[in-house]
Amino acid sequence: MTPDAAAAGRKFVVIGAGPAGLTAAYELTKLDVQPMVLEKGPMVGGLARTESYKGFHFDMGGHRFFTKVEEVKKMWHEVLGQEFLRRPRLSRIYYNEKFFHYPLKPFNALVGLGFFESICIVLSYLRWQLFPYKQEETFEQWVTNRFGRRLFRVFFKTYTEKVWGISCSELKAEWAAQRIKDLSLKTAIVSMFVKPRKTIKTLIEEFEYPRLGPGMMWNTVREEVERRGGAVRLNADVVRIGRRGLRVEHVVVRSPGGEETIEGSDFISSMPVTELVQKLDPPAPLAVREASEKLTYRDFLTVCLIVNKPELFPDNWIYIHSPKVKVGRIQNFKNWSPAMVPDPRKTSLGLEYFCSEGDALWTMPDAELVALARQEVERIGLAKASDVEDGCVVRVPKSYPVYDSDYRTYLGVVRDFVDRLENLQPVGRNGLHRYNNQDHAMLTGMLAVRNAMVGQRNDLWSVNTEQEYHEEVHLDASLDAQVAEAAWDAVSRSFARFDRLAFGLATGLTSGLLLFLATMWLVLKGGGVVGPNLALLAQYLPGYRVTGWGSALGLVEGFIAGFCGGWLLAALRNATVLLYLIVVHRRLERRYLRRILDYV
Amino acid sequence: MKTEYDSVVVEPGRAHEEVVLTRVVRLNAVLTGIVTGVFAALIIFVATNWLVIKGGRVVGPHLVLLSQFFIGYRVTFLGSLIGAAYALLGGFLIGFFVAAVYNWFADLRQPKQAH
Repeated sequence: MTPDAAAAGRKFVVIGAGPAGLTAAYELTKLDVQPMVLEKGPMVGGLARTESYKGFHFDMGGHRFFTKVEEVKKMWHEVLGQEFLRRPRLSRIYYNEKFFHYPLKPFNALVGLGFFESICIVLSYLRWQLFPYKQEETFEQWVTNRFGRRLFRVFFKTYTEKVWGISCSELKAEWAAQRIKDLSLKTAIVSMFVKPRKTIKTLIEEFEYPRLGPGMMWNTVREEVERRGGAVRLNADVVRIGRRGLRVEHVVVRSPGGEETIEGSDFISSMPVTELVQKLDPPAPLAVREASEKLTYRDFLTVCLIVNKPELFPDNWIYIHSPKVKVGRIQNFKNWSPAMVPDPRKTSLGLEYFCSEGDALWTMPDAELVALARQEVERIGLAKASDVEDGCVVRVPKSYPVYDSDYRTYLGVVRDFVDRLENLQPVGRNGLHRYNNQDHAMLTGMLAVRNAMVGQRNDLWSVNTEQEYHEEVHLDASLDAQVAEAAWDAVSRSFARFDRLAFGLATGLTSGLLLFLATMWLVLKGGGVVGPNLALLAQYLPGYRVTGWGSALGLVEGFIAGFCGGWLLAALRNATVLLYLIVVHRRLERRYLRRILDYV
Repeated sequence: MKTEYDSVVVEPGRAHEEVVLTRVVRLNAVLTGIVTGVFAALIIFVATNWLVIKGGRVVGPHLVLLSQFFIGYRVTFLGSLIGAAYALLGGFLIGFFVAAVYNWFADLRQPKQAH
């Protein structure tokens, strides 16, 4: 089916104007389809929006623009072109009233932690390498097995618990595994042969960033969608999703002008899948609704501070591990892009507090939050409270889908039902309840359009489980990919296992026959003393003689000895290969894990 | 509950074996034969000439016993060439045979799958 034919008579409704929804709309307009985009909030961009206050721009969460997904990269540059800046990356950890480079640098960490603590960390690491948890159910177990308990407590526990609001012993290992899933054995092995190019490595130290933050991208996409005939409606809250059987027919939208019904033939939804299920009319089955209620989110709020100083610190962001303050991460937006700050004599900071909708932090009045941020920024030593001249608060609900112990079961129930809706596709981080970054959220939007328009059958739920997402070893050019495939094929053949029994039989048969032939040869040659030297084999092969009968015995005993030797050789070879692969995998995994906080 | 990630993060030893060591290697009989033959020939050539260079009253009384099987072999430079030729042939046959028999048994136990 061609896109033109597919478009005939169809009306697309896109719920949500975040990266996934707007990407879907953008792709639709390229196919001459004019979608209706409905956004609950007053601005586009979703979790990747840029908030503004008195001319200062604030990025909610800090969005580096790098991706392995070529289509996404292409769209970024198609939309913003020269508006992208290339920025250096610097991030540190604040712990125990000291700053540590992140990713950790050994000497810096040694100096910061002290000699005794460093020794303890090394010993702890060795202990957990030798005696790891046998099962890795929780994040605590997962990290401890890789770094040791001491390092886990120093650099992971506090921050992770601040972000997720639950103990690391309750947090499933799965979200960490998701972040590292692409570090497959294939990736590890291929990385031995195909080195990342310099330009790729540079992207780790640098990143691209829109001049006015991520919201600039989504404002431009919105303009482009509208220019091509699509519509983007803000403050349009979808309160009901009308369906007939398993087919969605319309949505009811509440906006300042009242409620209205919008009909459509195809629906793409990036609203939280939990809300989607609750808003269906007639309602989804009880079990599905109950399951959706069990899926939870973590929220955060950013206290934006305007500081009357031209420079404060060189980092883009700082992870705050100290339990003495509530702030989890501090962004310095001027270091993301100088254009984020209208007055070069001033600096703007974003203090991120991770919380849950309705808790004490979430409900704290803005003035108190600004006062708290002012105190904490001074306590950490980044700025004087008296230099903070103004501030505001932005709350970002449902920022992170929580991977708690049962989420997979509940999400499975919800997904089974949503997948049966014929003309609705969930996309985006919250639409799929999946911890996708901006690029993968966009990819789900693109794939949803391809599903609808050209009959592809992309599984949106598996985006980010299938796509490689590995900064250090990713191979983005097609040539690299081909080389990687070829290398993998060759390597996988080399690392295939020896069949121990077959190899034992082959070497056994060969040795037995060799001994038989050698003995018979000497017997047939004859002479005064027949084979006095070969007869010495009797020291190892009981009963062996250089005679006709001895040759038959030699055949049997040679077979047994050869079999044992061959079997052992094959077993040792297999074990060595396995050990080697584990070492290679662990080495690369550690390299990746150096940046794991970026993904918490 | 087993998840899609377990293959990477849980029980790494077993997982790696599942990923890579499930495919049974097949040996190229001709290549194995050539490698074994060349290796054996080099051993004979070097071992013989080592003794020749060392010299002495009786040169290589034990190695010369190979002449029982390698007719014409002596512990001399010429003998090293003759021995190397025998070893090349013998080594090739042994290597080829081991590989062919291994492949045959391996095929019997686990039929080859298309990659």
